[in-house]
Amino acid sequence: MTVFRRRLLLVALLVVTAVVLVLPVTLTPPAADAGLDPESLGIDFLVNKSILRMETTIAMFIVLATAWNLIGGLTGYAAFGNVAFFGLGAYTVGMLTDPERGHLPFALALPLAPLVPALFAALVGLPLLRLRGHYFAIATLGMGVAIGEVIKNIDLFGGSTGLFPPIFRRADWLFFYLMAGAAALAVATNWLVLRSRFGYGLIAIRENEEAAAVIGVNTTLHKVAAFVLAAALTGLAGGIFAQWNSFINQENVFPIEYNVEMILMAIAGGAGTLFGPLAGAIVLESLILWLAGMGGEVAVLSQIGLGLILAITIIFVPRGVVDFFGGQSALSLAHIRRSLRETSV
Amino acid sequence: MSLFAQQLVLGLLLGGVYVAVAIGFSLVWGVLNIVNLAHGALVMLGAYLTWWLFTNAGMDPFVSLPIDAVALFAVGYLVQRILINRVIRAPLFFTLLLTFGINLIAVNLILLLFTSDFRAVAPSYAGSGMTVGAVEVPYIRLAAFAVALLVAGAIGFLMNRTRIGLAIRAVGADRDAAQLVGIDLRHVYALTFGVGAAAAGVAGGLIGTIYSITPTAGEPYTLQAFVVVILGGLGRVSATVVGGILFGLIEVLAQTQIPQGAGWANAIAFAVLVLVLVLRPQGIMGRRPA
Repeated sequence: MTVFRRRLLLVALLVVTAVVLVLPVTLTPPAADAGLDPESLGIDFLVNKSILRMETTIAMFIVLATAWNLIGGLTGYAAFGNVAFFGLGAYTVGMLTDPERGHLPFALALPLAPLVPALFAALVGLPLLRLRGHYFAIATLGMGVAIGEVIKNIDLFGGSTGLFPPIFRRADWLFFYLMAGAAALAVATNWLVLRSRFGYGLIAIRENEEAAAVIGVNTTLHKVAAFVLAAALTGLAGGIFAQWNSFINQENVFPIEYNVEMILMAIAGGAGTLFGPLAGAIVLESLILWLAGMGGEVAVLSQIGLGLILAITIIFVPRGVVDFFGGQSALSLAHIRRSLRETSV
Repeated sequence: MSLFAQQLVLGLLLGGVYVAVAIGFSLVWGVLNIVNLAHGALVMLGAYLTWWLFTNAGMDPFVSLPIDAVALFAVGYLVQRILINRVIRAPLFFTLLLTFGINLIAVNLILLLFTSDFRAVAPSYAGSGMTVGAVEVPYIRLAAFAVALLVAGAIGFLMNRTRIGLAIRAVGADRDAAQLVGIDLRHVYALTFGVGAAAAGVAGGLIGTIYSITPTAGEPYTLQAFVVVILGGLGRVSATVVGGILFGLIEVLAQTQIPQGAGWANAIAFAVLVLVLVLRPQGIMGRRPA
């Protein structure tokens, strides 16, 4: 790609981002603030609520995939249980804002949402990050399932009924900006890590952990720090989700599918890169939302569709679309054949 | 005291189910180095096949077990040959994700075919049992225990006493050397996965006879199979048998200590997993750390 075309692409992306960021403002004209239903006024809005909701969901998955990238993409540890951090963040906000429990305003509760999962990650990270490969993957998968189950079984946390943070009316735009802010924070964190000494340490661990230790990388500290950072960002998204959805229980904040969706997004986009997880999240979550939007019997079919996307991505473009489109090899059958030859028997 | 004895017996019998569930998982993991996240879905396929044969053809659930095995062997062979063989040399992320994708497809196909209703197989002898002293032993669970040990024995025989088993073990020990002496890797991989799936199918048939089933009921079994393999130690049939029975005992005893214990199955499994990995990562009968 020539420099000119690359710049053109960059400008186009910036314009699209700016439009996406500005559009939600049109949702809250004075009429809405006065309590009038905008639709009854016959005003044609550029964005409607369902689109804003989709955008917020996509932003949420950008956070999840980009946060996972820190531990999975950069450090190379197959974390399969990041949903535990999402749920812990959500429950932190849920408990603190609950009228009968914490009774705190959302603005005070949200800053604590990354802290609880981060602490938890530091605690379990020490034993879990001693494991490698499959052991680490399944141990974290078990962590995600177990935490949700424990919370569901304890009445203090609302049991199987769940928690109901007080509803914010007409605040869809607020949650969109919060989530978009969290996404920006996640990408910025990745950017900083990628060009820091710490980030090089993580990559060294991914490439060869023993060699990294030999040249003086404190591997335990690096791995736990990456895990904690990922947990904090994921927890922040969970905290915003709790208030946005104003209803949380084990099923909606600890879904096993999220684990795999965030990993798939990061890998499909390009694990270990800065914008890969972001691109993967936008494309795949749009696809998932579009499939799920068909409803009914199609909901089951959409799950099958997700499984097929997963299988096809893993088999044919294992190094992600960023490599596929922007890397050394162009979009070609030869590229697919080469990567197939490398991985199959 | 008699309550404790009853729990011990039930735990032992439950352990048999775990042996059946974990034996195929252990084989696939040990030889192919794949942690098969679709294992629970394969178990459920077997369970639904038994239910379907019982409901539509009136077939006794224990008679349908060989059919489960054959059908699941075919499914497993094809899945490995067509799909998993293509990523077997890739980093482990990819096999994990691929098997999760297969799990997603399988669970939702079952959902489409059989709906999400609870199904149960109830042969005429369901609920009857014998009384030994003060301890009640249900016939179905006892038979399931026997079948599980039989399956473990059969796989042990296949692995240690036959030419195919020799080839499978050779591939597990050194893929490239096995290929050099003329073993068809693609076929042996598919064969191994097929045998693992067949064992999962039999386990599913047993589970469908003991419990009521739904399409999503398979998910905990994947985690539990993993814990059983870790607990016993990877790479030997006898280790999986010990791990399975021990895990059954732990689960029953733990559940009776916790109020509403039945809801804690995954948490118990996870606690056992972390404890074993911290205290004895090679498992109870394992020889060397992995």
